[in-house]
Amino acid sequence: MIKGHWHQEGSASRIDALFSINDLGRYALELKNGTVYRGELSHLEVTERLGNVARKLTLENGSVFVTLDNDAIDTIFKNQQKINGFVHYLETHLSSIAVALVITLFTAFSFFKWGIPWTSQKIAHALPYETNQLISSGTMDFLDKYMFEESNLSEEKKNQIIQHFKVKLSPLSREDDSQIEYKLHFRSWSMGDQAIPNALALPSGDIILTDKFVELSSNQDEIDSVLLHEMGHVVHRHGLEMLIEGTFVTITVMMISGDGSGLGDMGIGLGSALVSSSYSRGHESEADLYAFKKMLLADIDPVSFSNIMNRMTTYMKEEENNRTRETNITKKSNGNVLDYFSSHPSTQERVELANRYSECFKEGLRVCK
Amino acid sequence: MESLRFTGSGSEYFKIWIVNVLLTIITLGLYYPWAKVRNRRYFYANSTLDSRNFEYHATGKQLFVGFLITMVFFIAYNLIAQVSPQGSIILLLVLFIAIPWLIWRSLMFNMRVTSFSNVYFSFEGQLGKAYINYLLYPFILLLLMYGLPAAAFFMGMDDIATAQAMGEGAVVETSAMLTTFLPIAMFVAFIVAFYFYAVIKKKNTEYVINGSRYGQGIFKTNVESKKFLMINLKTMGLSFLVMLILGVVVGILGGSDTIMMFSNPESMKHGRIPEGFALAMGIAYLIMIFAMILIMSYTMTRQRTYTYENTFLDDKISFASTLRARDFSWVMLSNLFLILVTLGLAFPWAKVRMAKLMLENTLVDTEHGFDVYLSEKQEAQSSLGEQIGDAFDVDVGVAF
Repeated sequence: MIKGHWHQEGSASRIDALFSINDLGRYALELKNGTVYRGELSHLEVTERLGNVARKLTLENGSVFVTLDNDAIDTIFKNQQKINGFVHYLETHLSSIAVALVITLFTAFSFFKWGIPWTSQKIAHALPYETNQLISSGTMDFLDKYMFEESNLSEEKKNQIIQHFKVKLSPLSREDDSQIEYKLHFRSWSMGDQAIPNALALPSGDIILTDKFVELSSNQDEIDSVLLHEMGHVVHRHGLEMLIEGTFVTITVMMISGDGSGLGDMGIGLGSALVSSSYSRGHESEADLYAFKKMLLADIDPVSFSNIMNRMTTYMKEEENNRTRETNITKKSNGNVLDYFSSHPSTQERVELANRYSECFKEGLRVCK
Repeated sequence: MESLRFTGSGSEYFKIWIVNVLLTIITLGLYYPWAKVRNRRYFYANSTLDSRNFEYHATGKQLFVGFLITMVFFIAYNLIAQVSPQGSIILLLVLFIAIPWLIWRSLMFNMRVTSFSNVYFSFEGQLGKAYINYLLYPFILLLLMYGLPAAAFFMGMDDIATAQAMGEGAVVETSAMLTTFLPIAMFVAFIVAFYFYAVIKKKNTEYVINGSRYGQGIFKTNVESKKFLMINLKTMGLSFLVMLILGVVVGILGGSDTIMMFSNPESMKHGRIPEGFALAMGIAYLIMIFAMILIMSYTMTRQRTYTYENTFLDDKISFASTLRARDFSWVMLSNLFLILVTLGLAFPWAKVRMAKLMLENTLVDTEHGFDVYLSEKQEAQSSLGEQIGDAFDVDVGVAF
């Protein structure tokens, strides 16, 4: 006997009722007012089990029987509803919950760590080359308008770098992707009164060198090493990859938090930032590796790269110290936390890799294991 | 008056939620609509009044089409936004024009798939009115806010141009007129817009509630913009107070740095943000999140109380909300904290807590009973266009 309520089709009014079955697969529904409905069990429609929420049986005449006695209903209708049975089985068995939790955490981790970068890379390389042009159009104008100023380098110096690039570095990239056309630009970039040493590459193959960078470099090899690093970004289509990765992260995050309140967004924003910067650290390492391999082929000592990187870091640090001394504020070291947000791998890692390739170079190897 | 109750529990919902997440992952997201249905079913069926429960009847299949379209649109928007700003503006414009239709459609859909005590809800508001409420009114609001000051400014500029032709003295005179007239125009525009904002709130509330049906029963609300205006005024007062406090906090913590920043904004251009100032800003930011939740809770609960006490079903069944701002903001803040420290795993408990709070503070007059209500015959939905519209699910901002 299962206790519950009976409703006429589409009616809110209800009558207490008792539901029972016999051995022949037939049921009887006795209403409190004396009416009895009988029929085949197989003709009843039963809602899927979900936690302990009220269960509804729909009779042939459209009237419904509602009960909270889920377990009794499950026993009677054991053989029906296989698909739902599976989902409900997962939901009610502790071991499957634990498995779900572990799989969820593991998948989420691997998806963000390897899945997204891998898929993005595949997509980025499957797209036609013109996409690179498309996403960089307008970028150069934007940078010129808001960040850069005209270069103060002499025409002679610029031409020398460009000529050297054409003769020595361009041929190295022939085997990668014949469609890429590199173009060098010289600009001056400063924040406040501090000139910034930097080199950037746009997906279209435009490479920008800042005046301060050229100034800090002590020989042609150092400039070449940085140019090769930037070429690595272009060859590996990192710009496009970043864009695709960003889309993936946003969609995933949206689906996870879809039903949540807007407040969770703040935590999610922080998470997305962490994930994105970890991707771009991966890109930097990839570009480094590209540069080192090409340097062995071009007969340049990879140590040049760590030399110029060190010099740039030292310069930035010194500038920082000068400024803090001026304003008499002791700077607290909060670098460790910020490393997580840093888009570049730690300098130490990069220097180690450079040294390893430098060893190979000294041994006269063309390929380094 | 009897309050609604929530009969579910966090631990039970956790199991449903984690399995949903798992299946969504395994199916690469395709299970999402079915997961959503299970979530909704759980929360609806556990909401009870007078020991009768609500039910959610939509199927995953019904939601799937809309889910796919939303995803495609979202991906397209994301990619286009990176490539061409013009393209993304056009897409946004399309979305903007489609929003009233989406709201109308999802109101119809969501009501039609919801029942209470075996009787279905429905929505009979008109599409035209949705466009008036969710496109025309917001557009007028924008015009009021920016149109009048802009008009005053350009008229003034025009006068200066004429004055320039006339000579030096006239220019000075006219620009003096412009500087006095422009702030007045902006002030008037602000007052008018502020009032109109309350009018919109009234109209939207009426559109949603007066269009709702329970079986043959008709919901009716009779709200006045004056009351919404008062709530908004108090909200503004509170916001000013918070800004004042924030200003003082930044001033004290940032000390001389702050004064330097404001007296000499040039120093900011050189990329030097003093540490004292940064610290003060960080603390101010935290206080601001806290204060925003408090203020938002205040506005939300007051509007809810006012709307509920003026809403009736068939002129006899009345409603009330006893939700207090301090309870709402407490649950909100503690939920946020729980979710953050557990990296999201406490989400099911947070959601159940919120559902309990909302339902237990919703009162309905059950004296007349619901026995007289019958489901209205619903016309069959078949064409693809309707199916697509069916499936979109936009929140309208009138909690009910």
